Parts: sequence; structure tokens; C-alpha cells
Amino acid sequence: MSKLNKPGDDIAQAGTSRRDLLKGLGIGVGAGVASVIGAGQVAAAPMVGDAPKADADTSAQRVPFYGAHQAGIVNPRPAAGIIASFDIVATDLDQFETMMKLLTARIAFLTAGGAVAMRDPKLPPEDSGILGPDIAPDNLTVTVGLGDSFFEKTDWGKALKPNALDRMTQFPNDALDAALCHGDLSLQFCANTPDTAIHALRDIMKSLSEYLVMNWMMPGDVPQAKPAADGTTPSARNLLGFRDGSGNPDSTDEAKMRQVVWVTPENGEPGWALGGSYQVVRLIRNKVEHWDRTPLQEQERDFGRRKISGAPLDGGPNATERDVPDYSKDPEGKVTSFLSHIRRANPRTPETEANLILRRPFNYTSGALKNGQIDQGLIFICYQADLGMGFITVQSRLNGEAMEEYFKPFGGGYFFVLPGVSGPGDYLGSTLVSAARSL
Amino acid sequence: MVANTLKSTALALILMAGLTAQSFAADPSLDLVAPLADYKIYVAENTEQLVKDTEAFVAAIKANDVAKAKALFAPTRTSYEKIEPIAELFADLDSSIDARADDFEQKEADPTFTGFHRIEYGLWVEGKTGEIQGYADQLLKDIKTLNERINGLTFPPEVVVGGAAALMEEVAATKISGEEDRYSRTDLWDFDANFAGSQKIYTLFRPLIADKNPDFVKKVDANFAEAGAILKKYQKDGGYVSYVELSDADRKVLATKVNTLAEDLSTLRGQLGLN
Repeated sequence: MSKLNKPGDDIAQAGTSRRDLLKGLGIGVGAGVASVIGAGQVAAAPMVGDAPKADADTSAQRVPFYGAHQAGIVNPRPAAGIIASFDIVATDLDQFETMMKLLTARIAFLTAGGAVAMRDPKLPPEDSGILGPDIAPDNLTVTVGLGDSFFEKTDWGKALKPNALDRMTQFPNDALDAALCHGDLSLQFCANTPDTAIHALRDIMKSLSEYLVMNWMMPGDVPQAKPAADGTTPSARNLLGFRDGSGNPDSTDEAKMRQVVWVTPENGEPGWALGGSYQVVRLIRNKVEHWDRTPLQEQERDFGRRKISGAPLDGGPNATERDVPDYSKDPEGKVTSFLSHIRRANPRTPETEANLILRRPFNYTSGALKNGQIDQGLIFICYQADLGMGFITVQSRLNGEAMEEYFKPFGGGYFFVLPGVSGPGDYLGSTLVSAARSL
Repeated sequence: MVANTLKSTALALILMAGLTAQSFAADPSLDLVAPLADYKIYVAENTEQLVKDTEAFVAAIKANDVAKAKALFAPTRTSYEKIEPIAELFADLDSSIDARADDFEQKEADPTFTGFHRIEYGLWVEGKTGEIQGYADQLLKDIKTLNERINGLTFPPEVVVGGAAALMEEVAATKISGEEDRYSRTDLWDFDANFAGSQKIYTLFRPLIADKNPDFVKKVDANFAEAGAILKKYQKDGGYVSYVELSDADRKVLATKVNTLAEDLSTLRGQLGLN
């Protein structure tokens, strides 16, 4: 490498040496390879080791941490996510409080971003360094939930457990792996880039090593989509090639979210739980090889939507995924089969309005299976104000659906997402700790 | 734990002389001399014990006494596990003494898989000593070589001090999951030896940092004590019950203790100004 003295010199010199090298190889350097970016400075042709360019606008995106509800539920899903389950090792309420304050402080810092604290170089660095010396918020959210096993450990936990919270049970099509199920604590990380999510996970595990032992984790992503012709953003596709989330309730409609997602006084939950939500996580393998060998018309019949547009099957040629199917005109299931995924999931009757859930899934790809197929599928995550009326009812209706041939749920769990943190003096779980103290 | 601090004054004097002449000629921090010398004695005592125990262990195998060899397996290993940070400096010997089947593509069938765990496989899975006679001879030879090399070694201070955390990293990465002694399920013996070895180093250097950083030593003391209390529940007849008897809840508490000790002890070198 060339000797670099002043910061201004390096670009020019490095550029020159790369150009010289190219010339020496007999390769012409044209304006398209090295364009002039300033007096005496030439932009070098990108080299193999150059990092992909970060996007300054998306890096700076910040989701407010403080609020009545936790972030990471009704805000739009960014491209990267991780779901992780932990067991909590805390012997008493005081330790739990200390742990939750520490967790709150880490999430507040990580979601706001900022400079990494520097230490004496004789010590291990405080931060992993994988994002460099400045942490960009990058749309990061960390959503914290508590599982049934956490509440069942203590008398105060049992007394204050949310009414509908339970240990996830096996549905008929499940093949649950105990090592990938349940947990005392769930952490859902969402960010624009996977590195930001991983960085946050590592930071929290390092900071809370006294309290947390990881049970399982799964990273996932949301594929990008071009805006539709009318300017709207379509739903992301799952790994079966279908749009997923078309039928979701409107997450920008606050009244609707109060009804579907957030625990309100009408749910009859303990007072400390108001503003929280039930989180369901299901790790669902998709048998993609088999699916890709299934005729398109059968795929669409089993799913209940058109594959390309996402439109319901009773729509015309210009129908979109936002169109609502009218099952009253199809009482025998001739157009949209009673075995199809969307008709079972949401039959759209007045009674089934009470079973709406807010889905917020990620796709996952996790290496090869023993049979030589790809381990690929969906990290299904959904939120609801009532676990029984929400996911459990919906999944019970889905039992026996045509898609079961291509789905294999193998992990996950039920968690209660704590109410939000009101401001810098507050912490995650403060209402639960207060309620436990006044028992 | 080692009962006697010094086996003989003569041994101690030789070690001290060696240290003064070799390792601290450059730029010794005088405070470190005494604990380093003590540690060298601790290691010497353990390697001496290791040679003696391995001789008995190998003799049982040569006599085709499977039951006796099984009984001697775990206690023989403890002296090795206590001094692992030093023993591991000799990568060739560590691999031939303490490799696990996972380290080989062909696993147990790999002919280069030797040492304690290959013998463990022979005793518990194959249930006979015929196949492992050669491995037993090799083990004794390796252990004697290790002893000689360690006796001639100048202990690098940063390796000794860093060893406290290194032992916890060992437990965190490969022991807590019960991978180490998978055929005999004697993992808790190794846990205990790793903790003892780590705590020995910490205790020797503790006086140098206790005044400067009372919160640190208080926390580390407490974590060692709590980990020790959990292990104690599983002690039986001077040893340990099977790893399978370790409850899930206790395994998780141990995991948090090990990780937190690794986190905290990783600052020990820096606190002592070592590079």
C-alpha cells in the first residue's frame, strides 16, 4: 500500500496506484471507471473488499423508544429481524427489577444510536465494534415479552400472570422441537440491516450475561418490493412466492389497533398489563421444493389468492391484494375453497371479526436439511389483545387446511409483550414489579 | 484443591530461581513475581499428580480391568483440567491428550483420535480395553512429555493471568452443554477442576486489585461462591454424580455464572497492566 500522511491524500494516492496497476495490466482506465470528484481527487474504481454503501437516510431512521406501547409491533417491518428466546436467571423481584432496568437502558441506547464508549485498550472493548465507533439507529426496535414459564416460577408471577397466557401447545400438524420452543423472555429485534439487529442482540447478551441464557434464536428477513403502479407499497412475499399480510388490519388505525392488538380494560387483564399485547412466535418450515413442483392453479386454490397480484380469487383481472373477497356470494366454496388458507384464517363473518390478529412475520433460511432440501420458511409472529380469541382460534380453524402439506411448524412460543416505557425514568416491566410489590 | 502449598522447599527454590533468571529479566512488575511463582508451584504439583494418576489409570487398562479404569478416569483428568491454560500452550500434546471426537471428520472412527476421550469411548461405549491399549501407552508418554515441558517452561504472565478467564471460556463454550465427557458423563468433575484452576489464579492475584477495585472482587467472589454452591449439590463420595443429573435450572444458573465470570475475569490482565 502507498504511504498515507494526510487524510486528504489517501483517496488520490490510492486512486493513482490502482490506476497504475490497471494500466500495467494493459487495461484502459476510462472516465467511467475513475471519475473526478474534486480538485486533485479521483474516485477509485471500487475494489472487491469495498463495503457496500450504507444509506445515510435509512441509517438515521429512528423509531421512538418511549411510549404507551412498545415499538416493533405497529410500525412497519424493516428488512431484517431476529427472534430470540431466553431463560431468566433472577432469584428475586429486586434482581428482576435490576435486570429490567439494565435491559431498558441498553435498548434505549441502541435504538437511539450514538458513539460507542471507549476503554483502556488493555481491556476488552465495551462494544463488539461490528457497526464501527458510531451506532446508527437504523430503524432498530427491540420488543420484549415474557413467557408463561417466567410467571410460573414465582408466587407473585403466578398471581399476576396475564389471563390468556399459556405454554404453547402442539397443534395437529406441528412437529415441535423442544429445544426451539418457549422461554421466559422473548426479544424481537427489527432493523433495516441484519448487522444492526445482530449488534443489538450481542450487546444485550453481553450486558445481561448475569441474567439471561439463550434458548434459541432465528434471524429472518423481509424481501423488498417495488411500489405498485398506483404508488402503494405491496405486501412482502413469503418463500412460497405469495404476498403475505394482504389481509392484515390497518396498523395505522389507532382505534383498530386498540381493538385488535393492545390490552385494554375490556380484556379483563391485570391492571399492570394494560398497553401490552400477546405475541405468538411460530417457526414454520416451508417445503419449498414440493411447493415449487405444484401446479400454479393448485397453489392459488390452496392459498386462496392469485400468486402474482395477491388478489382474492373472486376478483376480476384488475383486482389487487387490497380487494376484499366476498364469501357471501360463494357459500359452497366453489371460487375460494373452504380448505384454502385465507378462507380458513379469516372467514370474514361478523363473528370472526373478534379473531383478528396483526401478523408481522419474517422469512428465514437456515442451511440444508438432512434430506438435501433447503431449511426455509416463515418466522410467523403475530400480536393480539387476547391470545385465545386471536391466534389460538385462528390456528384451530386452520387445522386441516390444504397448505398443511407444505407447512411444518417446529418451534416458537407464546409471550406477553410488556407495556411501553413512558419516559427516561421508567423501565420495562415497571408496572409488573409495582404490582408484585403491593401483593 | 491442592492440600499442600509446597511439596518441598527445594522444589520451590528451583522454581523461584528459574523464574527470576528467565521470565522477569526484561521488565518485571515485582508485584507479579510472588503470585506467578506460587502459580508455577501449583502447576508443578498438578502435573506431578497427573503423571502419578495416569500411571495408575494406564496400569488398570493394561491389566484389562475396565471397572477400575472407569473409576480412575475422572479423577485422573482433574489435574489436567485445573492447569489447562498452561497445558494448552503445547498444542500438539493437547490435541493428542484431550481432543474430542468432534475434532475429527470421521469422529470416533478416526485413527488419529487419541487420548483421554478415545479411551473414555473404549471404556464406556466399546466396554473393553483391547482396542485402547495403544492409546493408553501413548497417553502416558504424552503426559510425561507434558510434565517435562512444563517444568522447563517460563510462564508468560499474561497467559497465567488470562488463564482465569480462559478456563471459564472453556466451560462456557464446550463444557456447560455436556459435550466434554459424553460417554462417561463425568463432566461435573471437569467443571469443578476448571473452576478450581480459574479460582486459583484469581485468588493469587486478587490482593493486587482488591483495594483498587473492591466492587469487582466482591462480584467475582460472589459468583465463584454461587457456582461452587451449585456444584456442591452434586457431589457424591468424593466426586460427582452424572452430568445427566444436573437439573436444567441449575445448568442455566451455572451458565450465567460462567459467562459473567468470563466477562469479568477477561479484564484481569488489563487491571494488572499486562498486555
